[in-house]
Amino acid sequence: MIEWMTTTDHKKIGIMYIVTTMTFFFIGGCLAMLIRAQLARPDNDFLSAHAYNQVFTLHGTAMIFFVIAPFGLGLANFLVPLQIGAPDVAFPRLNATAFWMFAIAGIVVFSGLAGYGGAAATGWTAYAPLSEIAEGTGAGQDLWLIGLLLASVSTILTAINLMVTIFLFRAPGMTMWRLPIFVWEIVATGVLILMAFPSLTAVLALLLIDRHLGGHFFDPAYGGNAVLYQHLFWFFGHPEVYVMILPYFGIITEIVATFSHKPVFGYVGLVIAAFAIAGLSIGVWAHHMFTTGAVSNPFFSAVSFLIAVPTGVKFLNWIGTMWKGSITFPTPMLFAVGFMLNFLIGGITGVMIASPPIDYGVHDSYFIVNHFHYTLAGGSMFALFAALYFWFPKMFGTQLSDRLGAWCFALMFVGFNVTFMPMAFMGLEGMARRVYTYPNIAHLGLLNAIATGGSIVLALGVIVFVVDVVTAIARRIPAPANPWHGYSLEWATSSPPPEFNFDALPPIRSRRPVWETPS
Amino acid sequence: MREDWYVFLVAAACVGLYVYGCIFWCIIAYRRRANREPATFAGNSRLEIFYVALPLLIVIGLFGVTLAKELPVDGVVPKPANRIAVDAFRWSWAFTYPGGFTTRGTPYDPPTLYLPLRRVTEIDLTSSDVTHSFWIPAFLFKRDAIPGMRNVFDLTPIRTGAFLSRCAQFCGIDHALMTFTTRVVPDAAYDRYVASRGAVTP
Repeated sequence: MIEWMTTTDHKKIGIMYIVTTMTFFFIGGCLAMLIRAQLARPDNDFLSAHAYNQVFTLHGTAMIFFVIAPFGLGLANFLVPLQIGAPDVAFPRLNATAFWMFAIAGIVVFSGLAGYGGAAATGWTAYAPLSEIAEGTGAGQDLWLIGLLLASVSTILTAINLMVTIFLFRAPGMTMWRLPIFVWEIVATGVLILMAFPSLTAVLALLLIDRHLGGHFFDPAYGGNAVLYQHLFWFFGHPEVYVMILPYFGIITEIVATFSHKPVFGYVGLVIAAFAIAGLSIGVWAHHMFTTGAVSNPFFSAVSFLIAVPTGVKFLNWIGTMWKGSITFPTPMLFAVGFMLNFLIGGITGVMIASPPIDYGVHDSYFIVNHFHYTLAGGSMFALFAALYFWFPKMFGTQLSDRLGAWCFALMFVGFNVTFMPMAFMGLEGMARRVYTYPNIAHLGLLNAIATGGSIVLALGVIVFVVDVVTAIARRIPAPANPWHGYSLEWATSSPPPEFNFDALPPIRSRRPVWETPS
Repeated sequence: MREDWYVFLVAAACVGLYVYGCIFWCIIAYRRRANREPATFAGNSRLEIFYVALPLLIVIGLFGVTLAKELPVDGVVPKPANRIAVDAFRWSWAFTYPGGFTTRGTPYDPPTLYLPLRRVTEIDLTSSDVTHSFWIPAFLFKRDAIPGMRNVFDLTPIRTGAFLSRCAQFCGIDHALMTFTTRVVPDAAYDRYVASRGAVTP
């Protein structure tokens, strides 16, 4: 226990990130089930309005700030030094500091539940002036702000740490153009974090000043500007979306290539696409603000359309990697295929809502809820499970069951689609986001009942995963060093790796050092 | 806006089915077989350039459609036939008609917005407290009501009827109840309503 609390070993810190983010994932998942229970039928009174508002605020906050984004960085913490042949990250103590800031941040945000007035209840976007007045005045909103400030600074520190590690700590022979795509995606993610997160830190600090020191930055009665909040928030918020997808693009690339038993198709194209996405994503933030009437819609629409191009390149490169391969389908590959099928729908609806005339109709409706869950849950979350199944043997030295894994995937895939597909139609029928109740008009009752049914199947899939992990740890069947016939350096060391990662490094003469080393 | 939607829907269906086709073809045709070795190529420059150019052309086309549709939607006529000021507040709406009379709702008694059929009505939108959003789902249109800012746009309804409308931007506890009814009525009925300062409802 003390050993884990004081460790600076990147593998232990990476595992602690993953355990912490999965804990928040289960909490966020339970909150999602509360949402689905309340919305199961029209005019339901299972939750009060204020309770519901806290639930969806904490669900979004947990999944975005404490699951999807930090899982990617936590996995990078574990993997990057292994994949580049380094003994640890560049700044191990900074790494531990960042992790503990992050863990405390999550506790601070959720501690609002214990106080008078409850936790924050203004959505994960906490738009001012709503977050400055009325139900935004409780301690819950302050704890939310302080928690996110900690998480924001922690993320910036981790990004710096990982980038320095990648630039300066590569093993001899590991040139930049031999880095695994996952590592490249982490470089692009790091660049994005350094550009976007200072804006989050700033907007949170300004909001705190407004709330307690009479700042009036966002208060129009004193010359402040409510739209300014949205600009600062989304200048962070949209790149954040890519912070939550780029590492997962990397995961999918590695898994697809491994199980197609073929080199990655279009390596250079994938790297360029990652940086094109990162660059363009700095210039699309105001597509969240098309309906404000306060931004240049054609400009932000054009850039949003353009970002579909490098994202499309990724898809075509994954298909190219599978093309003429010899594909096997253990659990990680199942989740990778599920990722592609789901994310494609999220990408396509994303192009539709990049068009302001369409967005005027569906903005802030359940169509948007469908869109971002297809990217972040059907996309990133499926890649997260792919990564867990793929690297679990490397992390814990024991393998998960392929049979249970297939069940987990099947339940999650069916459950996910049954839950979220009806939401597109709810949005088109006029159901707004973030409502605790809705009238029984059109097909809203039926569509919501289907979605709630789907969410139960999805939850069963997650329970199968927990059973799988518990039985694997109980049985402790030792995993070989390279159970999947992987090609990157982490498979050249034992499972789990020794304290400083490698007893001996294989020669690194290509992008696939393990495939080219006779074993 | 509806045509725009259908153009995008068709483009989405084509791209989606094509990529789904490619994925399923790969995972079926190239699943592991006993006597087949995987290929070893790692790219194909011509194919890759083609796959950058193709989506680029698609999105340029879609952007063209967007511009063609958005400019008329956002445009306002200089002298509208009718002007209604809309004030959003937690958690209802106040509508001020020509002549200066106002109807004001509550979350439990949502107000009705009367609009004349086929006449251009300019909506002057603002908020007295937090950010709201004025959404008429049947018109496929919404615009945010932002404190300290006036948003002006034109509505020209093309059929009569009553349409459930609501606040779309989360605004606190009773956001879910912040609805109103948009009732499109013939010109004469609307004029009677305004002339009687709301006494004669159409």
